[in-house]
Amino acid sequence: MRHGKYPFIIGFLAVPVALYAIFVVGAYLQMFRLSLTDWSGYGTFKDIGFDNFVKLWNDEVIWTALRHNGFLLLVMPIVTIAIALLFAFLLNVGGGSKGGMTRGVWGSKIYRVVFFFPQLLALALVAVIFQRVYGPDKSGMINGLLPDSWEPWLFLADEKWALTCILIVLIWQAVGFYVVLFSAGMGSIGQEIYEAAALDGASRITLFFKITLPLLWGNIQVAWIYLGIAAFDAFALVNIMTVNQGGPNNSTQVLSMQIYLNAFKYSQAGYASAIGVVLFFLALSFAWLTLRVTRSDSVEA
Amino acid sequence: MARHDDGVVTVGRSRIGTFFANTTGIVFGLVMIFPVYWVLNTAFKPDSEVRSFTPTFFPNDFTLDNFRSALGEELFIPSMINGLIITAMAVAAALVVGFLAALAIARFSFYGRKAIILIILAVQLVPFLALLIPLFLMLQGANLTNSLVGVALVYLVLLLPYTVWTLRGFISGIPRELDEAAMIDGCTRAQVFWRIILPLTGPGLVATSVYGFIQAWNEFIIINTLNNPQKQNLMAWLLYNQTERGTAWGPLMAGAIITSIPVVVFFLIIQRNIATGLTAGAVKG
Repeated sequence: MRHGKYPFIIGFLAVPVALYAIFVVGAYLQMFRLSLTDWSGYGTFKDIGFDNFVKLWNDEVIWTALRHNGFLLLVMPIVTIAIALLFAFLLNVGGGSKGGMTRGVWGSKIYRVVFFFPQLLALALVAVIFQRVYGPDKSGMINGLLPDSWEPWLFLADEKWALTCILIVLIWQAVGFYVVLFSAGMGSIGQEIYEAAALDGASRITLFFKITLPLLWGNIQVAWIYLGIAAFDAFALVNIMTVNQGGPNNSTQVLSMQIYLNAFKYSQAGYASAIGVVLFFLALSFAWLTLRVTRSDSVEA
Repeated sequence: MARHDDGVVTVGRSRIGTFFANTTGIVFGLVMIFPVYWVLNTAFKPDSEVRSFTPTFFPNDFTLDNFRSALGEELFIPSMINGLIITAMAVAAALVVGFLAALAIARFSFYGRKAIILIILAVQLVPFLALLIPLFLMLQGANLTNSLVGVALVYLVLLLPYTVWTLRGFISGIPRELDEAAMIDGCTRAQVFWRIILPLTGPGLVATSVYGFIQAWNEFIIINTLNNPQKQNLMAWLLYNQTERGTAWGPLMAGAIITSIPVVVFFLIIQRNIATGLTAGAVKG
């Protein structure tokens, strides 16, 4: 199988490599280049060295945004994975057992479809819907359900809770996908392993921690990376849902929103590129760290 | 739970635990489904009922007016067609380019192979928004802003990592002995790819094209930045239109339903295979 493989390799890889060279590598190089200029987004610009980065360092809004990204990055993957694992487990082996056969809770076939619903709605539509769910007066879905004597909750208009509201939507949107992913993983764990354990008298909790969790570890690692990236981004929700794109009073500000605002609203494309450079290195460090921990499982080829 | 009470010995499970598990399932299911139900509920209500402060759980006056007014918008149908053209171009190109690239990575060993895999994965890890400015400049330079092809090109680049990675998983799962047997029987290498590997990768191609369709169809940030209002897709049009006129929830939700129909149809078709598609990418090889 040796002779004549290079024509194939070159032919097969030429187009994707060219696309990447132009649209990804080229685009990043240009972003790095622009981050060293005072370009407004129109017309000419001049080099200003690392001034943008000095400005970044002293920009309080950026630090606030960074803290919010950090908060999402810490909480979102953990909660999402925990809920998804719990429900995948309930769907697959959490119900009663019959004649030694474990099975899912009542109606688990329906749940499998229901949990995938949020995936069918685009993130943008989810944002629009939850704007309505969070409506700060009686026409809002949650406030409409609360007793009339209660003060309406402000949700997104409340500085203290706005980011948590976004977090909940992120989790709501992501959880179904990982329920399905983990279910698939659990499905490939042999029934007989569970049966044997159940016959030995293992409780649901024992089954979960001693069998399911260790055997799913690979899937969980993949989920962690994807959720981390979603937490780094969060642009669609913040852009559509929040008051004044990142408000009130920057309480939902994130880095991607700052890039967008600086580039397309404040006419500071050079500065926006500098934020982009920071985001690039942050995301890569996160990925590198995660991949280092999971190296033997996911990058092997 | 009558089915549990038919005299079968239950092993290691308490009935209370089962009840608790079932209840949790139902509550969680309701939380997941409620917003979706609410979209449907709003879309079929007349405007007066949507704005009413006392929520109604079913439309009192069932109406299709919201759908009529959404479809009647000047740019609704053009945006839908734009979206379909862009999506079709991006997905078709991603399948062809991605399949060939996956073949090269899965079936050959060569210098730089690991580097290519790492770059493909790394790109997926960086929020794409950071690239919006340079991409805009590049496409402007190439006269590809306000064009469907320009957007499709960007989407193609976005779809490639997942496509290549997933198909590579599928191809790695096909035993090399098959290739070798076919070549001994006189197949050329190209024939092996075309007649053996391509058909066996079928489920992978379906999974990746559905994923690609959903991604491209639902995208709105890139197209909104690159193109003027006449060249938007349905999603961008819907969101743009919302901010433009204040929120008319009824027509907006009707528009959301129409936008989601292709995705739902795809989902129903491949529902059974979704899990396979999702996990195949993780197959080692």
